[in-house]
Amino acid sequence: MRLNDCDPGFKQEIAREPGGQGIQACFACAACTARCPVGELKPEYDPRRLLRLAVLGRREEVLASPLIWLCCSCQSCSEVCPQDVRCSDVLTAIKNLAARAGYAPPSGQAMARQLAAHGRLLTVGEFENEKRAELGLPPVSEEPADYQAILGAEAAAPRPAGEGA
Amino acid sequence: MCPLSAQNTPVLIIGGGVAGLTAALELDRRGLPSLLVDKGPRLGGQARGFCCKALVSCARCGACRVGDLLEQVARRPGIQVLTQALPVAAQRQGPGWEVTLIPQPAPEGSAPALAPALAMERPLAQRLVVQAGAVILAVGHQVFDPARKSRLGHGRVPGVISAGQLEQALAQGGLPGQARRIAFIQCVGSRDQVLGRLYCSRVCCGFALRLARLARHLAPESAVTFFHMDVQDYGQAWRAELAEMRADLRFIRAIPGQVRRGQEGPVVAYAGEGGQPQEEEFDLVVLATGLEPPTAAPAFNEMFGLQPGPEGFLAPGAGVLVAGTAAGPRSIAESIEHAALAAAQAGLHLAAGQPAPRGEVAHA
Ligand SMILES: Cc1cc2nc3c(=O)[nH]c(=O)nc-3n(C[C@H](O)[C@H](O)[C@H](O)COP(=O)(O)OP(=O)(O)OC[C@H]3O[C@@H](n4cnc5c(N)ncnc54)[C@H](O)[C@@H]3O)c2cc1C
Ligand code: SF4
Ligand code: SF4
Repeated sequence: MRLNDCDPGFKQEIAREPGGQGIQACFACAACTARCPVGELKPEYDPRRLLRLAVLGRREEVLASPLIWLCCSCQSCSEVCPQDVRCSDVLTAIKNLAARAGYAPPSGQAMARQLAAHGRLLTVGEFENEKRAELGLPPVSEEPADYQAILGAEAAAPRPAGEGA
Repeated sequence: MCPLSAQNTPVLIIGGGVAGLTAALELDRRGLPSLLVDKGPRLGGQARGFCCKALVSCARCGACRVGDLLEQVARRPGIQVLTQALPVAAQRQGPGWEVTLIPQPAPEGSAPALAPALAMERPLAQRLVVQAGAVILAVGHQVFDPARKSRLGHGRVPGVISAGQLEQALAQGGLPGQARRIAFIQCVGSRDQVLGRLYCSRVCCGFALRLARLARHLAPESAVTFFHMDVQDYGQAWRAELAEMRADLRFIRAIPGQVRRGQEGPVVAYAGEGGQPQEEEFDLVVLATGLEPPTAAPAFNEMFGLQPGPEGFLAPGAGVLVAGTAAGPRSIAESIEHAALAAAQAGLHLAAGQPAPRGEVAHA
């Protein structure tokens, strides 16, 4: 690893994200890794390693890593961390940075597109509208324009992968 | 017995551990008498119960320094000792202090008045007011209670003990039970923001590794695992020892997340080599507990009008000096050096008849 390949500002960038502040207190003790249920299923997933890489400033390596998306936000790590890092919140901050940098996984992007276009991830059909009518609720249509209005057309459209932040 | 109700002394030393004993000897060397008081029945402090960690040659753990200091103090007529004496009030008297001591009952199971280890241990009989030119606080530290870190199982999972308990067992003859798979967990109660203890306790890496090596020596078929973040550096000689220990013990750079009850012994959950969670059973898990500020720190701050020191330890004030672990984590050898410095500063304070300089000792 060459120091020149590291971005010393990366940890501050994470710390500025909501939930990311804790990264500055991590001293790589690995208590989080010891209790991580994802690591039990996927041996390559190691929260201490991800946080360490981030502290070292390995920006691209962390943001492009498919492993960051495996954190299931169960907070097991937060419970054992002696430094109150709130590791899973830090990973959420990292995921947000990665999404803005265009690294969100294709499935996540597809869901975002679906949400932007239809306002929901489940399709609404006749069955749902019959039930709504029974309850005295107005029908909902497949593609209501209001969603775009609420979300703002631009914010709703996810950027394609690879288009940097 | 002590029939006096008032007494004068150039220096009152509160606390008779290695720091208090050293301060008394150092003052004596400078021709200054002192009164050394301890709330307990015995002098020597916490290091009194430590075991010698030598294998074939001295391990420089410092445990034997206590005996040497006690013997020397017993031979100096200029040092007066009062045990079972608790300071309860203090009042400024010119450049010095007037301190009130009250007798403390002997703890159950000990008979210090009948069988004192050294003739100098004399329990305080009645309330006593001491006029002192300077006061040295050498009240030591508090050991972190590992049960507060409940996920590490102390007091809950059989086979999980503190380093102090292992010291005791070894001082009394040997390893507890048939312990063959032994794990040490470092930094228990230190470097922990959740507990509000951000500092390194400095001594636990040293005593834990020396205890580990002693355990291997006593039971050569045993295997020792050392869970740590990093190992403190104690200088040149230590580095050579550490290299040998690294070859003989299993060093794992991870602090375990949990210790639970297993089939035979405690099961430790930790990050394995590739970074995946892993569980392993041991016979004995030893928690390297850290040093906390003395419990009496707030009381002394109030009594002597002191500003709280770093991390809740004691800091010096007008006519008051602090020696040993009362001022912050340090080893026996470091406490001895620190107490010699405090004694020198007390000497300067007496000579000047005014508050001693706070930082370094000025050239006399
Ligand atoms: C588990 C453990 C293992 C350790 N092992 C080692 C080791 O192997 N080597 C090493 O160098 N260091 C070791 N240390 C550190 C060592 O214990 C300290 O450096 C040493 O004991 C400090 O001496 P002291 O005189 O400052 O304090 P203490 O030993 O704590 O002595 C303080 C004295 O003050 C008295 N006192 C307290 N409060 C009052 C009061 N209010 N009024 C009157 N008297 C009072 C107490 O009764 C006691 O006698 C270890 C520490 C721990 C926690
Ligand atoms: S438990 Fe906390 S301090 Fe330890 S490596 Fe994980 S995030 Fe860092
Ligand atoms: S001396 Fe070692 S075990 Fe103790 S707090 Fe410091 S690093 Fe941790």
